[in-house]
Amino acid sequence: MFFVPHFCFGQYAKVQGTVTDNTGKPLEGVTVVIENSSLVLTNEKGVFTFDSIAKAVHTLVIGSYSKDFVSFTFLLEKDTVFAKPFVLKENTSEFLDDVVVTSKMPIGRGIESLSAIEIDAKEIRRETGGSLMQTLEKRPGIKSIGIGSSNAKPLIRGLGFNQVAVIENGIKHEGQEWGADHGLEIDQYNVDKLEIIKGPSSFLYGSDALGGIINIKSNAVPVKNTLGGSVDLVGKSNNLHAGGSLNLYGRSDKWFFRLRSTYMNYADYRVPTDTVYIYSYAVGLHKNFVRNTAGREFNNSLNFGYVGTNVKSIFSVSHNFNKSGFFANAHGLVPMNVDKVIYDSSSRDILLPYQQVNHTKVSNQTEISLGKHKLEIEAGFQRNFRNEHSKYTAHGYMPSTFPQDLNVPFDLERQYDKNAVTLNVSDRTIIKKHSLSYGVNSEYQQNKIGGWGFLIPAYKRFALGGFVYDKFFVNDKLALLGALRYDVGSIHIHSHNDWFESDVVGDNGVVSKEKLSKATDFSKNFNNFSWSAGLLYTKKDWLLTVNVGKSFRMPIAKELAANGINYHYFRYEKGNSQLSPEQSYQLDLGVNFSREKFKMSVTPFVNYFSNYIFLNPTADYDTYYGAGNQIFEYTQAKVFRTGFEVQASYAPLKQLKIESGIEYLYGVQLSGAKRYYPLPFTPPASGIFSISYAPTIWQKHLTNSFVKLNVKIAAPQNQIVPPEKQTQGYHVWGFALGTSVKTKKDVIDIRLNIYNLFNQKYLNHTSFYRLIDLPEQGRNIVLSVRVPFNFKK
Amino acid sequence: MKKYIGITALVAVFSLVSCKPEKDTVAPTIDVNAESFPIQCSEVKRGENFTFKARFLDNVELGSFGIDVHNNFDHHNHSTEVGECDNEPDKIAVNPYVLLKNYTIPAGLKTYDATVIIDVPSDVDTGDYHFVIKVTDKAGWQTLKGLSVKIVE
Repeated sequence: MFFVPHFCFGQYAKVQGTVTDNTGKPLEGVTVVIENSSLVLTNEKGVFTFDSIAKAVHTLVIGSYSKDFVSFTFLLEKDTVFAKPFVLKENTSEFLDDVVVTSKMPIGRGIESLSAIEIDAKEIRRETGGSLMQTLEKRPGIKSIGIGSSNAKPLIRGLGFNQVAVIENGIKHEGQEWGADHGLEIDQYNVDKLEIIKGPSSFLYGSDALGGIINIKSNAVPVKNTLGGSVDLVGKSNNLHAGGSLNLYGRSDKWFFRLRSTYMNYADYRVPTDTVYIYSYAVGLHKNFVRNTAGREFNNSLNFGYVGTNVKSIFSVSHNFNKSGFFANAHGLVPMNVDKVIYDSSSRDILLPYQQVNHTKVSNQTEISLGKHKLEIEAGFQRNFRNEHSKYTAHGYMPSTFPQDLNVPFDLERQYDKNAVTLNVSDRTIIKKHSLSYGVNSEYQQNKIGGWGFLIPAYKRFALGGFVYDKFFVNDKLALLGALRYDVGSIHIHSHNDWFESDVVGDNGVVSKEKLSKATDFSKNFNNFSWSAGLLYTKKDWLLTVNVGKSFRMPIAKELAANGINYHYFRYEKGNSQLSPEQSYQLDLGVNFSREKFKMSVTPFVNYFSNYIFLNPTADYDTYYGAGNQIFEYTQAKVFRTGFEVQASYAPLKQLKIESGIEYLYGVQLSGAKRYYPLPFTPPASGIFSISYAPTIWQKHLTNSFVKLNVKIAAPQNQIVPPEKQTQGYHVWGFALGTSVKTKKDVIDIRLNIYNLFNQKYLNHTSFYRLIDLPEQGRNIVLSVRVPFNFKK
Repeated sequence: MKKYIGITALVAVFSLVSCKPEKDTVAPTIDVNAESFPIQCSEVKRGENFTFKARFLDNVELGSFGIDVHNNFDHHNHSTEVGECDNEPDKIAVNPYVLLKNYTIPAGLKTYDATVIIDVPSDVDTGDYHFVIKVTDKAGWQTLKGLSVKIVE
């Protein structure tokens, strides 16, 4: 770095320039620093101006505080305007479909003082797992709660379900977050860029973002005057999976469209065992297939919009369809007899029990630049329609044969129909060294239910929150971040009565028949104040981040008013209408070191919940409401959690790279019925280590060739809370090989991934079928090919 | 910088001292002995009563137990016992016998011998039934035992 001699003082000059992204679009709010001298932010036209800088040799750093800044050294002799714009380096060398640019800038507002992971489409494609979350869970601190081969939900540092918000194009994804037995309705082929923020993010995204967020951008804009597309094909050996994704895009000067259609068809998956013991009852698996876990996925999306100088408006319409079977011997975690002749005749058919989800989303994201202000409006409508089908089985006092006059299909156990409307309006502006944002988020949802089973009543929910978020770039080393937010919310639970009669013993001992009331009408209102404060400090190769925040989460309908048997677990789940919103206080640290060959980050955190909500297994049974099942009741407890992730990479040679990611998590309940017990779904300490080699062979025809070997090592998890089981440690190997074949205009990507290379038998502590000791998927050889095409270039 | 190392160290220390091993991680058991009834493939007569007998054990303290009897005419099998009984052909239930009973085990016990007299009405369907025994301990761990039994004339 250059030392600025003090004797140069007295003579000053002006420095001006422009910062753009790869497409030439001006970038606003980028920090530009003259080292040891001054800091400014770019305006809405991407222009930065330093009014009076000493005439000397200076180093200009564009996009400091980000990992991929641009730095430039020059001699200042007179007023200088850099005519050529500075292009802020992107985090990828190639881009989705080679023309859709994923910007380095954070999605949304960015919370740079919290530990974040950025992943782009290229990386997702390189290691495509069974579902988006299964692709992402290789990163430290990120795990998934999954069922089967292709359905999983996010788990960030042990928090999941409604404690993690998934945001797509600015709109919070609204599915059935509460359940462990279904997945996230997002097409992983449609993701352009994704950020995972590991820490309390309620202050920007409201309730549910308390454990972190997964921020997805799937509406990136192609570059001007293009028309093209790509075809992705994928085949997987383990579950005989065949799938493909077709993408078309085009853009004139200002108008663009993108279309995507993805279809996946997979058979039952295979595990390295031929017998599973469900509560000591032996279930034989025909040719190692987990009976009836086949599935189909069909996702379609269209993005179109206008990109002008001051207005950018993108419409997105998508529909995700997913149908997948449940392990037929264990619908519920109790052994079920099945007709093996029918069930084993095909590994590809989907018989009872199965689930089916249709998720429709229509949204618009608009940015309007008005002088110094940038107005952002996000509006969306979603419908999540989920059905669970199973053979009618009478439990408790349900009639032993399915009544013909019941206005419900005989195999429709449960149905959830959620409709949600979202509207967010916000503004961001640059005032001197401040990047200030403020706005409101609102959401209204209506949830209807159906089917002959009952767990959660129908309900309506409304949430409204307002926030102010400021980033203050104090100097070229230090930035401060602060936010305040206030939320109000309400939930209205609808009453529900059983459709069948139960024997009720009255006070006088007389038995009468009654349709039991499972839910009564009631409303609850919530309000909450949350905040966050953080700092970033950079010095040479070091970046230090500190963040303290209070986050919250409104109790969900299941927590407030569940009152039925969850047959997936054969337990009676009982809500508690007295629950108050979860409040979480968290301190996050981040120490990052980055040099050309060696990069490392350590991200510890400490977290305290004054009232963590969890489903507590009691010692009691319930005859009438619970059909004789064990009572699991929602309760609140004080909780302390801590943990850390360590990520490091070392590239001794240009072609050779060694990477590692380690995570550790500890949680304990400090009060209540499960005092001293850990929290449910706590992943064990684990590490992923990989070595990759990128040979430069046959360069005339090939590029991006690589070979990679990785191993995941997980410690045993002995910290358990009922009804969990202790899980043994394991290690599992993976192998990948890939290259890109050069064609006239493009490159064709070919990749081979082998997961669970040695077909090892191991249990995943956070997997749904862990409780019945079903091992994870066996060896899976995945071949993927991607062929881009261009009509104009 | 030192300050943060200090905080990290503090976190590490706290996480070590806060692991109090005062928690029960063992589920209760259902002990099958010579006294137990019913056992796998037992038969009971309709129109008569029989005595349910089982011994429950726990390392700390027992909670509750429950009995759930329902028909298995479609042979959906909740049996956790190894060995099938001779099943009758599948049939449609007309007036199947249903029994759901739950009992709290007196506080402070590690061993409990449960005895319940159960009436089988004379008008219920004969055939294959499931007899599920459930027991919890105070901590909320549960153990199930599913038996196949027959109701006969």
